[in-house]
Amino acid sequence: MEMNEETSGSRKLRCDDTSKCFELLESILDGEMGDPGKEVLKEKLAKCQPCFEHFHLEQAIREVLKNKCTKQSVPKELAQTIREKIQDVK
Amino acid sequence: MSEVQRRKYSQVEKNSIFDGEFMPHIDSMYNFAYRLTFDEDDAKDLVQDTYLKAYRFINSFEQGTNAKAWLFRILKNSFINEYRKKSKQPAKVDYQEVETYYNSDDVDFQGTTDLRAESVKDMLGDEISNALNSLAVDFRTVIILCDLEGFTYEEMAKILDIPIGTVRSRLHRARNLLKEKLKGYAQHMGYDTDEEE
Repeated sequence: MEMNEETSGSRKLRCDDTSKCFELLESILDGEMGDPGKEVLKEKLAKCQPCFEHFHLEQAIREVLKNKCTKQSVPKELAQTIREKIQDVK
Repeated sequence: MSEVQRRKYSQVEKNSIFDGEFMPHIDSMYNFAYRLTFDEDDAKDLVQDTYLKAYRFINSFEQGTNAKAWLFRILKNSFINEYRKKSKQPAKVDYQEVETYYNSDDVDFQGTTDLRAESVKDMLGDEISNALNSLAVDFRTVIILCDLEGFTYEEMAKILDIPIGTVRSRLHRARNLLKEKLKGYAQHMGYDTDEEE
């Protein structure tokens, strides 16, 4: 397994509990942990290389999902059809 | 999202809620429907049915509360209860995959070093989209709700009728599966990955 020596700095290269940490990081990214989450995040990113990498990967995935999977163009007539059907049941 | 407290809106109020609180979400609703059905006509039908139901049950909607979550819940239920049965293209549910992930205590993504943030950023919309679409519907749904639509865990729990803890763990597993798919694309496309021999 390749270790990213250059960017790891003083971070530890092994995470003691990736499963727990990654799930926590994801919750923080999802905005579920509030301000205490920000503190935990700062500490993890500073001290743990696997957490650091996981965080950036997760962040990149969220960004591409948001930018590339929400642009389904809505058929023009859909809103109009819905309004007409509502008129019928009124 | 309570359906116990029923209101009695006037016609004017109904119209105002429908136009002001329901219709602005049509783009998100269509995107969700399309990602559930993979078919434009089916997605249109599903959105249309959802809005008709929303109008019919408008008295169980509390004005000023979270209309988007309320609508998404109706759409999701319509999809499960009615739509999936008559679908031209049955949802591609890989039950094996679902079972494996639901039954295992902890299946974790071991490939953090194999998939780089940079290669993900370079991927094309189609690759991301295909990876998302290839997930079993339960996993796909939580990612859509969270990452595309920005719902909170609490809102997702209400939309999906599952406990918050289940939302969190299902999301975590869905993301692991998505990363596996993306890793496959990255390797296939020759993006920079650390391949272990």
